[in-house]
Amino acid sequence: MAQYVYDRQKMSEALTAIIAGNSSEAARDWLQQRLEKAASIPQFNQTFTAIPRFTGKNIVTVSPEQAAVLHQLVPGFFVHGWTLDRLIRVWWLLQLDATDKAAYLDTVEKLFLSAEMNELAALYSALPLLAYPETWIFRTAEGVRSNIGVVQEAVMLQNPYPARYLDEPAWNQLVMKAIFTDKPLHLISGLDQRSNAALAAILTDFAHERWAAGRKVSPMQWRLLTAFVTADNMADLTRVWHSADQVEKAAAALVFSGSDYAPAKTLLASDPALTAEIQSGALSWDVVAAKLTQN
Amino acid sequence: MCGIHELTEKDLQPLTYTPAYLDKIKGMRFFDPHVHMTSRTTDDYQAMADAGVVALIEPAFWLGQPRTGVDTFRDYFNSLLGWERFRASQFGIKHYCTIGLNSKEANNEALAEAVMEIMPQFIYKEGVVGVGEIGFDDQTPLEEKYYRAQLELAKEANLPVQIHTPHRDKKKGTQRSMDIAIEHGLPPHMVIVDHNNEETVKEVLDRGFWAAFTIYPFTKMGNERMVEVVKQYGSERIMVNSAADWGISDPLAVPKTAALMHESGIDSNDIHLVTYVNAVKAFAQSGQINEADFDIAGNIDQSEKFNGSTVLRGGQQPRINKNTTIIR
Repeated sequence: MAQYVYDRQKMSEALTAIIAGNSSEAARDWLQQRLEKAASIPQFNQTFTAIPRFTGKNIVTVSPEQAAVLHQLVPGFFVHGWTLDRLIRVWWLLQLDATDKAAYLDTVEKLFLSAEMNELAALYSALPLLAYPETWIFRTAEGVRSNIGVVQEAVMLQNPYPARYLDEPAWNQLVMKAIFTDKPLHLISGLDQRSNAALAAILTDFAHERWAAGRKVSPMQWRLLTAFVTADNMADLTRVWHSADQVEKAAAALVFSGSDYAPAKTLLASDPALTAEIQSGALSWDVVAAKLTQN
Repeated sequence: MCGIHELTEKDLQPLTYTPAYLDKIKGMRFFDPHVHMTSRTTDDYQAMADAGVVALIEPAFWLGQPRTGVDTFRDYFNSLLGWERFRASQFGIKHYCTIGLNSKEANNEALAEAVMEIMPQFIYKEGVVGVGEIGFDDQTPLEEKYYRAQLELAKEANLPVQIHTPHRDKKKGTQRSMDIAIEHGLPPHMVIVDHNNEETVKEVLDRGFWAAFTIYPFTKMGNERMVEVVKQYGSERIMVNSAADWGISDPLAVPKTAALMHESGIDSNDIHLVTYVNAVKAFAQSGQINEADFDIAGNIDQSEKFNGSTVLRGGQQPRINKNTTIIR
C-alpha cells in the first residue's frame, strides 16, 4: 500500500507558503523550533495540541493561485475558510514520519482518541492528506456519526476524502446525516458523482415522512434524484414542481433538465421561461443554494 | 444534593416560571465558573443564554456513582472537550472546563493511579482553564495523596487550581487545603477555593486566595446569605457560581443572585465583579480565556461567503417556545 497517494513534499511546501502569508514571525519561529523535536512522539503530540496557543485562530486568506496548486496536488482539497491553527495542524500531520506504518497509524489514531473539538476538526480535515488512505475509512464513518457540528462539517463539506473512499452505504449515511443536520449540501465534494439509486429511494421515503409531518423538504435534496427519475418518483417531483415556493419549483426544473426521463422533459418544456433560464445559466444549483442561504 | 428537608404540600406543586427577575438584570453578562452541564438538559442552556450567561466553566467531577475504570474517565474528559463544548456553542455560550481527579474517586487507588497517568494528555488542551475540582471529601490519606499530586501537575502546567472544599468538617478541610497548596509552592492568586460559607470566607480572603461561593439550595449557600457576604466583605476576589448538577440545583443561580443583589441595593459594579469579572480574571491566568471569544460564540450569523456559497459555523439551535402546549 502506498504511504502517500500524492506528492507529500510539494503539498507540504504549498501549505508552508500559505502559512507564511498568514502567520506572525513568532509563530513561525516556534514551529521551526518544534520541527527539530518532531521525531519524538510525545513532543509531536504536545505540539499538535499547543498549536493554537502560538498561532492564533485568524481565518486564513488563500490566493487563487495557491488554491489552484492545492487542487492540482490533491483534487478537491480545500483550505479556504479554515482558521490558521487548523491549517497548521494539518501541515504538522504531514511532518510525521510515515515509513513505519504501524507506528504512524498508532500515533494518528491516538490523536483522534484524545482530541478536543478543534483538534478533531483538524484531524478530519486532514483525511485527504494522511498516509495509507484506505485505513481511515472506518474513522471517517465515525466522524459522520459525530454529533458535533464542526466535526461533521470537517468530514462532510469541501472534503474530497469521503467521496473517494467511502462505500455506498456509508456515503449515503453521510448525505442523510448532512440533510438531518441542515448542512449546505452543495458543499459536499462528489455529491453528483456519488449519487445512486439506493440514495434516491431513501430520499423519496424521507420526503414522504417530512410531508406527513407537515414539514418542509430541502429543495437541494432533489438534486440527488437527477440521474434516477422514474415512474416511481415522478409523482413526488411533480408535487415539487407545482409548489408555490419558487425555489422548490426551480429545484424540480433543474432535476428535469438533467434527467433523460421523457415525462420529466415534457413537464419542463411546459414552462419555456424556466427552461430558458436553465439554458442560459441564470438558474443553476448554485443559484438555488444561494437562495436557500438567504432564506 | 438535597439535605433533610421537611416537605410540605407547597413543595410538591409544579413551579410556575416567572422570569420577572430577568428585567432587573437586562443587558448584564454573566460567567458561571462552576456548573456541571453534563447533568443538565439542553433547555437549561437555553434558559442560561436567555438570562445573560455568556460563558461557563465545567469542572470535572463525580457522576453520582463511582466509575469502575479509566476508560470511562477518558471518555468523560473527552466529552467535556467535545460534545458538551459543542452543545453550549449551539446557544452562544462559551464552554471551558477544568480537568482533574475528584476527591471521592481518589479513594480508589488503582483507578486513581490510572487516571493520573492520562491526566497530562488532557490538561494542556485548548479551553482547559485549570486543574479541578480537586481537594478533600472524607479527608482520607488517599485523597491527600492525589490532591498533592495534582497540585504538582497544575504547577508544572502553570494552571489555576479549583479546590472543592468538603461538606463535612468544612472549616478544617478548607484550612488544610490551603495549607497544602502553599506547601507545594502554589501562589494563592492561582488557587480558587470553592463552596465557601460565612465560616470560611474570612480566612480564605485574608490569606490571598480567591473565594468562590456556590448558590445551591439546602446544602450550600442561599443567595440572601450571599447578599450579606458581599455587603460585609465587598467584591474583591469573591465570585459566585451555581454548581448545578444532577441534584436539586439551579443553573440560573448566578443571574438570580445578581438580580437579588440589585434589589438589595448592592452597587452594579460590585455585582459585575462577583458574577463575571473576578471569575474571568482568576481563570484567565490559564492563558485560555479570551473575552472576545464570548462575542464570537454568541454571534449567530457567522457565515462567510466564498464563491457565492456560505460556510456555516456554529449550528445554532432554533428557539422553542416553552409556554405553549403545542409541540411541533
